[in-house]
Amino acid sequence: MAERAGGPAVGAWILVAGALLLLVVLPLVTLVANALADGAGPLATLASDTAIEAWRHSVLVAAAVTVLAVVGGVVGALVTERTDVRGRTLLRLGMVLPLLVPDFVAGFSWLQAYAPGGLTDDLAGVSLPWLAGPIGVVAVLAAGAVPLVYLVVASGLATRAEPELEQAARASGGGRLVAWRTVTIPLAAPSIAAAAALVMVTSMNAFAIPTLLGTPDGFVTMTTRIYRDLAFAADSEAFSRVLALSVLLAGSTLVVMGLADWLLPRATATRTGAPSSSAAGFRRGSWLPAAPLWLYLAVTTAVPLVAVLLTAVTRGIGLPPVPANWTLDHFGEALSSQFATAIGNTLLLAVLAATGALLLGALVAGLGRRHGGRTLGTAVSASFAVPGTVLAVAVLLAYGGLLRDTLWLVLIAYLAKFWALAHRPIGGAVDLMPSEPMHAARASGAGVTTATRTIMIPMLWSTLAAAWLLVFLFALHEVTMSVLLYGPGSQTMAVLILNLQQLGDPTVTAALAVMLTLLTLLAALPLLARRRLLRRLKWR
Amino acid sequence: MTGRSAALECRGLHLAYDGQPVVTGVALDVLPGESIVLLGPSGSGKTTILSAIAGFIDPIGGEILLGGRTVATAERSVPPEQRRIGVVFQHYALWPHLTAVQTVAYPMHRQGMARSQARAEALVLLERLGLADLADRKPAQLSGGEQQRVGLARAIAREPDLFLFDEPTAHLDTPLRAALQEELAERRARTGIAAVTATHDVAEALAAADRVVLLRDGRVIQVGTPIEVYEQPADLWAARLTGPASALDATLVGDVAVGVEGSGARGEPGDRVLVRPDWASLRGNLTGTVVGVWFRGPHTDYRLATSYGEVEIREAGPPGASVGATIGWQLHRAWLIPAPGS
Repeated sequence: MAERAGGPAVGAWILVAGALLLLVVLPLVTLVANALADGAGPLATLASDTAIEAWRHSVLVAAAVTVLAVVGGVVGALVTERTDVRGRTLLRLGMVLPLLVPDFVAGFSWLQAYAPGGLTDDLAGVSLPWLAGPIGVVAVLAAGAVPLVYLVVASGLATRAEPELEQAARASGGGRLVAWRTVTIPLAAPSIAAAAALVMVTSMNAFAIPTLLGTPDGFVTMTTRIYRDLAFAADSEAFSRVLALSVLLAGSTLVVMGLADWLLPRATATRTGAPSSSAAGFRRGSWLPAAPLWLYLAVTTAVPLVAVLLTAVTRGIGLPPVPANWTLDHFGEALSSQFATAIGNTLLLAVLAATGALLLGALVAGLGRRHGGRTLGTAVSASFAVPGTVLAVAVLLAYGGLLRDTLWLVLIAYLAKFWALAHRPIGGAVDLMPSEPMHAARASGAGVTTATRTIMIPMLWSTLAAAWLLVFLFALHEVTMSVLLYGPGSQTMAVLILNLQQLGDPTVTAALAVMLTLLTLLAALPLLARRRLLRRLKWR
Repeated sequence: MTGRSAALECRGLHLAYDGQPVVTGVALDVLPGESIVLLGPSGSGKTTILSAIAGFIDPIGGEILLGGRTVATAERSVPPEQRRIGVVFQHYALWPHLTAVQTVAYPMHRQGMARSQARAEALVLLERLGLADLADRKPAQLSGGEQQRVGLARAIAREPDLFLFDEPTAHLDTPLRAALQEELAERRARTGIAAVTATHDVAEALAAADRVVLLRDGRVIQVGTPIEVYEQPADLWAARLTGPASALDATLVGDVAVGVEGSGARGEPGDRVLVRPDWASLRGNLTGTVVGVWFRGPHTDYRLATSYGEVEIREAGPPGASVGATIGWQLHRAWLIPAPGS
């Protein structure tokens, strides 16, 4: 290839490779080395009933959640993208909102709403006694995963908005459902499969919801078993089990990703229809198809959040949530010294992680496909697949001696985990950017650096902003890694909420949860207000 | 060449994409002020040659000279920003975040002009091109034709020694395309700057070129004035590329054509006689059966089955014969294409 090189690539390459080595490779190698050095210990614990049970629970939960979430997400995407449903714009926004609720807030809020003694029990005498237990874990995880499937599939449907293909099916005598089954869904199969793999992996690696809803009932998964062994046990058998389960969890994730990669259709489908922005099915707009979606949002998100809000503003536990009993005291308490530090830590970590990940992500994307840039990009993407729990254990083993109890330890884990999150949208945008604008700049007399500064970066700025916000949001939500890595003084809001909940202080927890959710909404506002930004994020 | 060096010279140019050779041994020279058109089907290497002249890709062999200065060989090459070339892109390549006036000021500013002065001069240039009203619009608010005019203004603002037009009107509607082709040719002629245009549109090539270069599979098939390549194509492929043409059996036509004025066609067996639709007419001492009639407005196209093969004839006015009729016809002129290998 005689296409021009992009400039001082060697320095960037060394920087990226070095960062990858320090952030990801070294910790993981340390983890495996520790597991091997431990001799037969890890192997023996793997065969133990405790480990097998944890593994079985994780896999079953992941499978059940995947089935439920795929059905829900695909139905949602068909409704918003392939019918003339009324209020489509609002519905699209609504289907994304649950993603903004941190998962530990979701778990906590379901308990406040539906557990015996919760809001619905108070109001109507209705409660879900199975909420604390495996069924509850699956239900809450699935409710949270539906928007993920929805986003992937809806954007897949949007990129294949060729109404002519479905019109041809209708003209050939098929009803709307037949057209969906025979044309729409087969065409969307790649994005559905990708979404399924994504949900399978995230629910297998989920930590907060299994901790909140499973642990009290004695239902243990791999992630919660690792947490318990690391945080509360001191014997060598527990440590062996941490190492063994970490490797097993990483291996299981790898198997799912590998299978998905192998099964996913790679070929890009040929376009045969004229693309169009709208794909109408109904003649008149109707509210009817939206009903199940609004119901889903009400049950899984609105009611639980209202329950948390009421808990946060009600004077004491057990008092009826009426205006006479309302107070803002819990918020005041939540802003007191101990909690203020946590809020500061959370914001600082989120800003540092977002900025660092953005710089690293842009650096990899800037390497392009040359000089092994593609290989490094793949390595960065692959690092996102390392389960948070495993990454945290690895970072703890590698840097714990040096940085124990500092924010740096958490930051290293965040950068390692979220680098890919920033890299993928930027890399995707760079790949999709036509070469002509840069060529036009060069032909207009701009050198490589000037052309990058004046043309490339302005053209990509919305992608860069979206990538920064995405990492910021993930860092606000993060609890899986920070709960394993925090020390006195380096607590985050998420860790605090999780710990308070376990200590049984719902009022302040609720106040903190409300504040964190509001903070998240605030940060996400630019993303939601400008759909363009949201679209820049490639959910693959 | 007479004293002044050529605006562009390519010597034995070899170009490749991903290791796949795309252009092999192309030689090309463009005199100062001359307009050269590269004509060929898609995949013939036109755009690749332009990319190499602009400096977006480097040759794997051969040499490119601009104004007598070597700018690219397989070993070293001058970066595009130092080549003084004005490129007009196929998809316009306007920058989505810049307004028309910012776009046109861009190359001026890059050449060291102060930002405010560049803006002022860009406005003058837009005014000259009749685009003053669009100065503060971004590409999304411009039509295809307007975008391409802004693209042209950007190329002019570069004050280039050579223009490169890459299928400049391919993505425009037909009526607009003809108008813009005319405008581009006229504006370029007025600047007196040499140009290389890549196109697959014969009408554009014949109208805009001082010389036409026919390209097939990355090789030059023929170079000549528009009239030369139309009237004397190098082979059947070149004949079909440059316009409608019938190929008749030479020996048979040769027999009959001896007496036909200007045909000069007297061939060996296997030779083909090329006949453009306007080189033959209805009514005459040859006979044929009408197998097709197409009314095109100002003229009518006929296809006749004759003992020498099928021949297409174009006559002014509405159809004067219908399918199935046996009628007379005659040849006014023909061009002999020798059998391959003879």
